[in-house]
Formats: sequence, C-alpha cells, structure tokens
Amino acid sequence: MDPILAEVYSTVLPAAPYVIGAYVGIWAALVAYVLILMRRAKRTRDDLGALKDALAAREERLEQ
Amino acid sequence: MASSSRPASDAARRGAPESVLDRLAPIMLLIGAVLVLADVVWTFTLAPLVQGAQLSEPVTIGGMQVATKLLLSQKIFYLHVPVAVASFAVMLFAAIWGVRFLMTKDRVFDMRSKTAMEVTLIFIIATMISGDLWTRFEWGVWWVWEPRLTTYFILMLLTIGYFILRNAIDDPERRARFCAVFSVVAFIDAPISFLITRMVPSSIHPVVFRTDSGLPPMMLIPFLLGLFGMFMVAFALTRLALRINAQALEVEELKEQLEEQDAWRSRAAADEALERLRMRGAAVAGADASDGATARAAGGHAEDEAAASAQQPTSGAAATTSPSSSPKED
Repeated sequence: MDPILAEVYSTVLPAAPYVIGAYVGIWAALVAYVLILMRRAKRTRDDLGALKDALAAREERLEQ
Repeated sequence: MASSSRPASDAARRGAPESVLDRLAPIMLLIGAVLVLADVVWTFTLAPLVQGAQLSEPVTIGGMQVATKLLLSQKIFYLHVPVAVASFAVMLFAAIWGVRFLMTKDRVFDMRSKTAMEVTLIFIIATMISGDLWTRFEWGVWWVWEPRLTTYFILMLLTIGYFILRNAIDDPERRARFCAVFSVVAFIDAPISFLITRMVPSSIHPVVFRTDSGLPPMMLIPFLLGLFGMFMVAFALTRLALRINAQALEVEELKEQLEEQDAWRSRAAADEALERLRMRGAAVAGADASDGATARAAGGHAEDEAAASAQQPTSGAAATTSPSSSPKED
C-alpha cells in the first residue's frame, strides 16, 4: 500500500472495532430493555390468569 | 401531606382500552427504527469521513485532494448524540410526571414517572457505552473527569439512585412522594450536562448543537434522521413500558385487594367464632347464676324453717337437721 494512503487510513481500521462496538452496544441496550419488557408482560399475563382462576374458584366456593 | 395517594381511581383508568398514543406506539417504533436504520446506512455510505491530523504530504483520492488523516471514530457521533438527547427528553417527562404526582397525588403519575426513569436509564447506559468507546479511541483513555462526562456520570448515578430509593421504601405513598421529588431534583442535572460544554470553555468534549456547527448536508441529514428516529424509538418504548407497567401495577393492586379480602374474611370468621363463644359463656354463666339464686333461695327457706322449729321445743328434732345440709344438697 502507498505509504501516504496508509497514513491517511491509519486511523480508520483501528477505529473500526470501537465504532462497531458503539453501534452494537446502543442496540444491545435497547433490545435488552425490549426483552425485559416482554418478559414483564408475560409475567403480568400469567399473574392475571392466576388471579382470574383464583377469583373463579372463590366464586365457586361462595356459591356452594 | 394532607391527602393520600389514590390508587383505586387509577385502576379503572389503567384498565381502560388502548389510547390513541398506545395505538401509535408500534407505528412510531417501526418508523423510528427505519429512520435510525437509514441514519446508519447513510452514515457508512454517503456521509464523508471527518478529517483529522495533517498528513506529511497531500494525496488525491477519488479525484479529491486529501491533506489530513480520516477519522472513522466520528461515525459514533451519528447515533451517540441522538441517544443522549433522547435520554434528556425522556427524563424531562419523568420530572413532569413527578410534578403531576405531587400536584394530584394520583399514583398513575408515579408509575409513569418510574417508567420514564427506566427508559432514561436505558438510554443513559447506551450513551455511556458509545461515548466511552469513542473516548477510548480518540483520547486514549476509558475515562476522563471532564465536565460533560462528569455531569453525565452524575446523571447516571442519580437515575440509579432513584431506583435504589424506590426499593428502599415500603410504604407506597411515601415512596411515590419521595421519588417524585427525587426525579425533579435529578432532572436539574440534565440541562447542566447539556450546557456544560458551553459554560466551561476548558471542556474538551465537542460542542454539537451550535449555530455555526458547519455540518455539511451529507452529515447533517443522517444526524437529523438519527435524532428523530431515536425520539420516536424513545417515545414508543416509553408508551410500551407504560402499558406493561400499568398492567403489572393493576395486577399487584388486585393481589393486594384479594389478600385484604382474605384477611378480612378470616378476621370476620374469627370475630364470629369469638362472639359465639362469648354468648355460650354468657349462657353458661347465666345458668350458673340462676342455679345459685335458686339454691340460695332454697337455703334461705330452710333457715326460716329451722328458726321456726327452734321457737317450738316440742318439735326440736326438726331443729337438729343441720341448716348447712342445704348447701350440700346443692
């Protein structure tokens, strides 16, 4: 490679891992939060189902 | 505080069907993601590389004369700055909802403020990751106690502190009140962090928002795409989190209500059993008392008879029947 060109791009290649890391880091943080939210939503749905079952069982007991 | 927070009225509102904003959230998320993707593609294809240090001699690349080194690390700026600005924007909403809670004592605003702080923390973490990688490459160190970095670090600590405070207080009303105040106080650091590069001239952090920033259109357009895209993503994430957190809070309140009902029922059953026991005890005691009265009456009658027979010596044998025998009969 032309030494002048090598000098021009001397900061490009070494910076690539940092740039990629920064972009991946940002998206990873956002995706991680979305996953947390999805898990929380699933837990809430499960809790809601359990609550409905508990209420139904209670009403059944009261009717008896 | 004179009035307490109002959880019950909120449950109905939280259980209300999706609002327009909730319906907009997935669309905004999609548009935001597309805009950010366009920003990334533009950044790495059309946006020119920023020029760094002077070369020993100029060179011609693609018909253009280049006299400086080219900096790829500046590409971080196109996403780092939008994420940082979005973190300030979401934190502003956390503070606004904190103020609304203090004004209305409506716990739905506490939940909203907490959700906004959650999203703020995620954006702060994303900013810190990207910023730190840029610092490492450009300045050769992972961290510098430079005004912008320091104030933003304080902002991160305040946001983490908010959640520590939340977990430290059990009473929901006190927790909501303290956290609302904390979110407002924490937000004060956001404009300080934003403006610090202008207020402290010795700051080595680049000043981005300036009237004379001199960004050419090929660099300004991807930056604006990223900025609006990140705003939309932040909005959509906040709405999504609000909906999920509202449902989670509703479930928690329902659980508490059921537990309270159970406790109330068992307490009522225990009270009823106690009352029955009391009544039975009273009945037994009453029966004992009436038996005692009868016995006493009978004893008194025998004494009278004994006294009468004592006054008649001819019937002394009757007097020998001991009066004390009557209780024995009892």
